Amino acid sequence: MGGFSTFSLIKQEDAAIDAISHNAEQLSKTTEKILRLSMLKNRRDELSMAVHDIVGKEGIISVRILNHKGVIKFSSNPSEINEHISQTSPEGMATNQLCKSCHKNEYNKSEYDIKNFSQYKIVKKDNLIYSWQPIYNARSCYTEACHSSFEEPVIKRANNLKTGEAYLPVHDSSQTILGFIDIEVSTKRINSNLAKTRTQLILFTIIFALIASIITYLSIKYLIGKPIKNLVDGTKRVAEGNFKDEIPPGKAELKLLAESFNKMQRQLLSTQTQLIESEKLASVGKLAEEIANEINNPLTGIIIHSESLIAESKSNNNSINDFETIKLEALKIRESIKNILSFTGGNKPEFRITFIGDIINHAILIVKKFSNFQNIKIISEIPKTLPNVSVDPALLEQVFLNLLLISSESMPAGGILDILVNYSDIKKQIEIVFSDTGKGISENILQKIFNPVNIPELENFEKTGISLVVCKDIIEMHNGTLKINNTGSGTVVSIALPV
Amino acid sequence: MKNLIKILVIDKEEIILKSVKKALKNNDHTEFVITTCNTALEGLKLIRTDKFDLALIDPILPGMNGNELIRRIKNIYQDMPIIIMSGYSSVGTNQFEFVTGQNGFSKPTVDILKKPFTTEEINSVIGKTLRNYLNIN
Repeated sequence: MGGFSTFSLIKQEDAAIDAISHNAEQLSKTTEKILRLSMLKNRRDELSMAVHDIVGKEGIISVRILNHKGVIKFSSNPSEINEHISQTSPEGMATNQLCKSCHKNEYNKSEYDIKNFSQYKIVKKDNLIYSWQPIYNARSCYTEACHSSFEEPVIKRANNLKTGEAYLPVHDSSQTILGFIDIEVSTKRINSNLAKTRTQLILFTIIFALIASIITYLSIKYLIGKPIKNLVDGTKRVAEGNFKDEIPPGKAELKLLAESFNKMQRQLLSTQTQLIESEKLASVGKLAEEIANEINNPLTGIIIHSESLIAESKSNNNSINDFETIKLEALKIRESIKNILSFTGGNKPEFRITFIGDIINHAILIVKKFSNFQNIKIISEIPKTLPNVSVDPALLEQVFLNLLLISSESMPAGGILDILVNYSDIKKQIEIVFSDTGKGISENILQKIFNPVNIPELENFEKTGISLVVCKDIIEMHNGTLKINNTGSGTVVSIALPV
Repeated sequence: MKNLIKILVIDKEEIILKSVKKALKNNDHTEFVITTCNTALEGLKLIRTDKFDLALIDPILPGMNGNELIRRIKNIYQDMPIIIMSGYSSVGTNQFEFVTGQNGFSKPTVDILKKPFTTEEINSVIGKTLRNYLNIN
């Protein structure tokens, strides 16, 4: 911007000088015309007045008319008249230099070189402009009888002219240049004006630059700086483990950034919550194992000794019943412990040749006692001809229990849960299909259901503590596949296990 | 003629030792002689002085882990069948390295008996082991 101001200032200055120069040239030419007219009519007073009048206007300092020898004939300064130009002023000396451009030897008429002389000369120096207009000899100058030069003696024309009325022509036809019009113009005023303008421009530029900087600073601070600071604070907060507070959304791209940051934070929170949950579950599982081991020892004692008592007290029916009750209840405790462990136990597969139908039936038996299944009708179709497969029964039971529970959650008001088991001889696999009449899973969730980073909406499906992801993992551990689909009226989970 | 089966039971829980004694019943052709102890070192001592047909061991014992105990027993009697008793549901035969016949042991001679067990279950596991590994009916 500073560069632009300087440039425009220089241009402005040039234009002003040009205008003044042009003005001086015009003035010079006008003066020449007046000169010619006044001379032909011998009206020297008029010319003298005109010269006086010109001075003072538009910064014109002086106007001089010299003859070709350099003697001032008319001047705005009367004291200069008849002085030689070289003796008047320092400016006169400069003018004298111009004489030398033709007259190599000063005023020696015979030695000049007209070629060096230009028609009109203008010199700019300091705060002054010198205009140098040559007055060419014209036919009228040496043919018309009009006036006499000051130095020339008055030569009257013979016979027909009275004294003072007319004169012989004074200029010689051999002269090329009769004299010069020298005008000095001051550019001081214009320069001081320009200086003022320059100061104003510089001041304005500085103020404008300052305002622009402040505006830029403020807009960067509020539009970019603040949202970025929020983001930085957000990352610090997340690094410190605070996932709860979210970043206020900014504008445009930064808004997108803030939104995706918040989304990432929510996912982190959900993953962290899940991690904590699974960690908890793992420690609960470990604890349950320890407790179960502790209980299992005395339980062995109770079972074995009650059985021994039953065997020994064959004669006493009452006692047998009591001992049977003890044994039965102890076995119930054993079942309960097994069930608890099936939820919380580790997932190390221990393969055994098993009839899949038994596992499914056992899972159904367990869930039927749950309150969720009060209004749910479970229909299972398990052909007795199914081949046995090598699976981990505990893990598979976990999968079936979870699928049953998830299905029950999608049917809070009750419904039908259909379990269809088939053996495909061609594919050499057992196919198990769970289909319910529940509300189904939305397409959005269905796409993300097996994503390792679980989405918050899925939380409702994870109440059983083991997610569908784990179910899928277990099935894949058996080299099988697990697929979830939506039908118009519920969810279908299909499992295929190779035989 | 009755088969005389000598069984060594090692478990830190007294109730288990008592229960095993109660559960294993002599029948027409089998007579069980049961020796029990609470620690691995006691068990090893007994094995060195007497010969047993099979051992029932809870691998969680004070002073020595189950694998180490089994390795030492196998160093004395390479072919002795060993049945693991455990109250941990996650225990499996694959946790014990000798099962797969590693370390030059010819017979994978172990089965699992999960606690709590019934009289029927312990008799069935022992009966199976006797049939499979000792050819005793």
